Amino acid sequence: MNLLGIRRPWRLLAEASALVIAVIVAFPLYWMVLSAVKPSGEIQSTSPRPWTLSPSLDSFRRVFEQHEFGRYFLNSLLVAVTVVLASALIAFLAATAVTRFRFRFRTTLLIMFLVAQMVPVEALTIPLFFLMRDAGLLNTLGSLILPHLAFSLPFAIWMLRGFVKAVPEALEEAAYIDGASRTRFLWQILFPLVFPGLVATSVFSFISTWNDFLFAKSFIISDTSQSTLPMALLVFFKPDENDWGGIMAASTVMTVPVLVFFVLVQRRLVSGLGGAVKD
Amino acid sequence: MTNDTVSADTAPGSALRPRTPVRAPARERRTRRVGAGGWTPWLYLAPALVVLGGLLVYPIYQLGLISFLEYTQAQVSGGQPTTFKGLGNYATLFGDGEFWQVLLATVLFAAACVVTTLAAGCALAVLLTRVRALPRLALMLAALGAWATPAITGSTVWVFLFDPDHGPVNRLLGLGDFSWTYGRYSAFTLVLLEVVWCSFPFVMVTVYAGIRAIPSEVLEAASLDGASQWRTWRSVTAPMLRPILAVVTIQSVIWDFKVFTQIYVMTNGGGIAGQNLVLNVYAYQKAFASSQYSLGSAIGVVMLLILLAVTLVYLRIVRRRGEEL
Amino acid sequence: MKLSARLIAPLAALVLAGLTVTGCAPQTSDTGATKDEKSGTLRVWLFQEVGNKPKERVVDAAVAAFREKHTDAKVEIEYIPVETRAQRVKAAFNDPKSAPDLIEYGNTDTAGYVKDGGLADIKAEFDAWGEAEDTDPTARQSVTVGGGIYGAPLFVGVRALYYRTDVLKELGLPVPTSQAALISTAKKIHRAKPGLYGLAVGGAYTYGAMPFLWANGGELAEESGGTFKAAVNSPAARKGIEAYTSLFGDDNCPAAKCASMGGNATVTAFASGKAAMAIGGDFSHSAVEEGAVKGKYAVVPLPGVAAGSIAPAFAGGNNIGVLKSSSHRTLAVELMKSLTGKKTQAELFDAMGFLPTYTDVRAASAEKQPFVAPFVKTLGAGAKFVPASAGWAQIDASLVLPTMFQEIVSGRKGVAAASDDAARKMDAAFSSAG
Repeated sequence: MNLLGIRRPWRLLAEASALVIAVIVAFPLYWMVLSAVKPSGEIQSTSPRPWTLSPSLDSFRRVFEQHEFGRYFLNSLLVAVTVVLASALIAFLAATAVTRFRFRFRTTLLIMFLVAQMVPVEALTIPLFFLMRDAGLLNTLGSLILPHLAFSLPFAIWMLRGFVKAVPEALEEAAYIDGASRTRFLWQILFPLVFPGLVATSVFSFISTWNDFLFAKSFIISDTSQSTLPMALLVFFKPDENDWGGIMAASTVMTVPVLVFFVLVQRRLVSGLGGAVKD
Repeated sequence: MTNDTVSADTAPGSALRPRTPVRAPARERRTRRVGAGGWTPWLYLAPALVVLGGLLVYPIYQLGLISFLEYTQAQVSGGQPTTFKGLGNYATLFGDGEFWQVLLATVLFAAACVVTTLAAGCALAVLLTRVRALPRLALMLAALGAWATPAITGSTVWVFLFDPDHGPVNRLLGLGDFSWTYGRYSAFTLVLLEVVWCSFPFVMVTVYAGIRAIPSEVLEAASLDGASQWRTWRSVTAPMLRPILAVVTIQSVIWDFKVFTQIYVMTNGGGIAGQNLVLNVYAYQKAFASSQYSLGSAIGVVMLLILLAVTLVYLRIVRRRGEEL
Repeated sequence: MKLSARLIAPLAALVLAGLTVTGCAPQTSDTGATKDEKSGTLRVWLFQEVGNKPKERVVDAAVAAFREKHTDAKVEIEYIPVETRAQRVKAAFNDPKSAPDLIEYGNTDTAGYVKDGGLADIKAEFDAWGEAEDTDPTARQSVTVGGGIYGAPLFVGVRALYYRTDVLKELGLPVPTSQAALISTAKKIHRAKPGLYGLAVGGAYTYGAMPFLWANGGELAEESGGTFKAAVNSPAARKGIEAYTSLFGDDNCPAAKCASMGGNATVTAFASGKAAMAIGGDFSHSAVEEGAVKGKYAVVPLPGVAAGSIAPAFAGGNNIGVLKSSSHRTLAVELMKSLTGKKTQAELFDAMGFLPTYTDVRAASAEKQPFVAPFVKTLGAGAKFVPASAGWAQIDASLVLPTMFQEIVSGRKGVAAASDDAARKMDAAFSSAG
């Protein structure tokens, strides 16, 4: 049985290389977790070993013992979830508008959505800072939610376009014949069909929001109760002190939620990204 | 979000909605909907436009404005009035040899990242289609892990992996205490590896999904015709993947041209004597470290214009092929 | 209801995005405060030191003493990394509403912060404060700008030469007493013990490099009639730069590792036993004591060019200032007095080795702790300061001098070319700062 159209030795070679590459790609993550549980003496050793015989949770303790760590975690989660939900909703509506309707400036808008993705976020920190200040949002989570929403929207709309387009127009017409209103079609027919695409795009907004430390650093100036996770982790990012154990433990803590999110949506992500081509 | 069907008639525009199937050519059907839609698309677009207008367009406008002003810390905190400088900041920028060096480095570095990422991503996507479930799952999970890693932690872990004293890579390769961040090219190489590591998964997963979406009959037919693997890829798979390849290419260009965190973290803000600066970090350093906000903004505007040019080229190619946006 | 069903999603989204865009040009902030509340929360930013715990204990005690007198006030202390201070403080100046009430700042930043309009002039309170009379003149100078007083000195920082007694003894080397001897000793040690840096130096360690420049008669900048002109490219300054950069190389501190190091990194290298000598401050003492070399090191003043002379050191140190935007000015000044008072400084010295800014407290401390003798001696031999121009903050923040050293040690530019470039950038900063 030659299912994949290649001969056996070649397939074995392909599988072996896939596994080797998987190991190489996963190695940095393995090393991160490993260094997080190594006792500090072993981390500083000049002959690092790829295992440890005496795992310790000291590094994690240092991370979690920080003042109000749980609060930071919740703040991060709140910001990321708000951005994900809001951007999914807004992008869904916008993507529907630009794919299921013809109107003046449609192409212009599309080009603008593409161009909007190119804006260097870091350069906009300056004007955004003044904008947030004038809106009185500095030092609040709102100053993180709004810019992230704005920066994740163009990409989300751009991605979702393909999914919305992929829903056959005949379906829309059939719905109307059955007497469905536009609203009903939008939410009860189109929305569920586009949902995998929404998940795929949510991955991007979640990651960029969760990982951000530039805005957190710039906009949450002095109110520690509004700090997010990266701020708590930055404490360990002091190149001079080389607290690698703390850095790696903190990095692990920050990566795990994203990984969980990823694994949860993995299926939908692959089928979702595939949806863009079926068109 | 429930709503019964009939009474939506009260909503503006809905009275015109076609209630009978219209068996007309697609083009005409769409045209008809223009009238039918009325303000509806704008209603749907409103939230997006408000958010983008307020938080993207307006700041960009301000960015442009600041780049024409004399705007340093003293102006920000109100110690001195802002003055209009015209193109003065741009003149300063273009007259500075360092800017051109950084620009060149940015373009070359981004190009290297894009090419490597695309090559690795596409090759592995093809590989994924050739293996059974277990190795596929392993590679997929590893890639998702790399993708999920926040840029700041990924960068730190990579620096640690390549640490001259405590990192495993130098020991594995027998490099002794070779410092990767000291040489300009070795530092760029290190950053490139990290960038590729965290961005190839997007390409791989997307292209893999694209290949999977190609009907297997087409591929079988090609193979029955005796086409070689390479031939099948070139004549069947690649053309069908073109839209998706275009998307991942343009996304990679956008992302890699704007690389910030990796350079900032891994080379400690731009490397020894600024040897590893790229435009984005350069702008940030000018604006925030030296308080020359107007110069930083001018660099931001230059970056924006370059990316805009790339987009226009991309759009031309798409248009020429007669594809619709 | 039907209409609203249709509108509800876009409207909900609109509310999410509910932001009113006001104004159309980048604005300037009004940093002056109008209120002076007598209760509420005071926010304080202090620097995070290498080994911060003892500092936290002293600060907590000072805060407790303050709160006994002011029961209505709460105090929130945040320790911020020194590396990111520039952005944090700038952001605070830009948004008075979210700014802290008190900040610790390096004395090299005083002129810049005052020019930015961030610090409050507390001359009246300072002059009326009894303890302040004993503040030594250099420290007082470091909070003074154009007749105003913008904070209270917290400690003076001065650097000297840390060396490993065991290593020098083992190799039979005398403690160097001149700059030439220092350099040759460093190289001899590295030759005998390749695992050790002879003298740990850093390409980004500006304040460790300056004594070399000054000892050779060079200056960073020269003042004439209120304006500064860079002098790092003068022949004398170049000689000093040459001497410092000659320490980078495979015969002492390999450029591949040392070019990117800053002051803390060199001290960490010494403390962990990876360097035989280092230029460290009195404030580095506790970090070294906690390191692997405890009991195996001693400190002497950094030697100058002539045998037996002392190289002029940089008179560093930190101050605590009240922000102009503070809405609790009276309370903030009280807290500042508590944090910088004689009692706190004496405790801070015991905990961290920070040299007190009060002459009497410093003398008492020196008696108690002999390790400060070389630092006090260095101060006595005449310490120098960075150019008292607001331009210096910009020169410092845009890494002009580290770039110069790194260009030289990485072989990309010669001393002459690199120092000319640095001088050009410095002049631009001085002229833009006015």
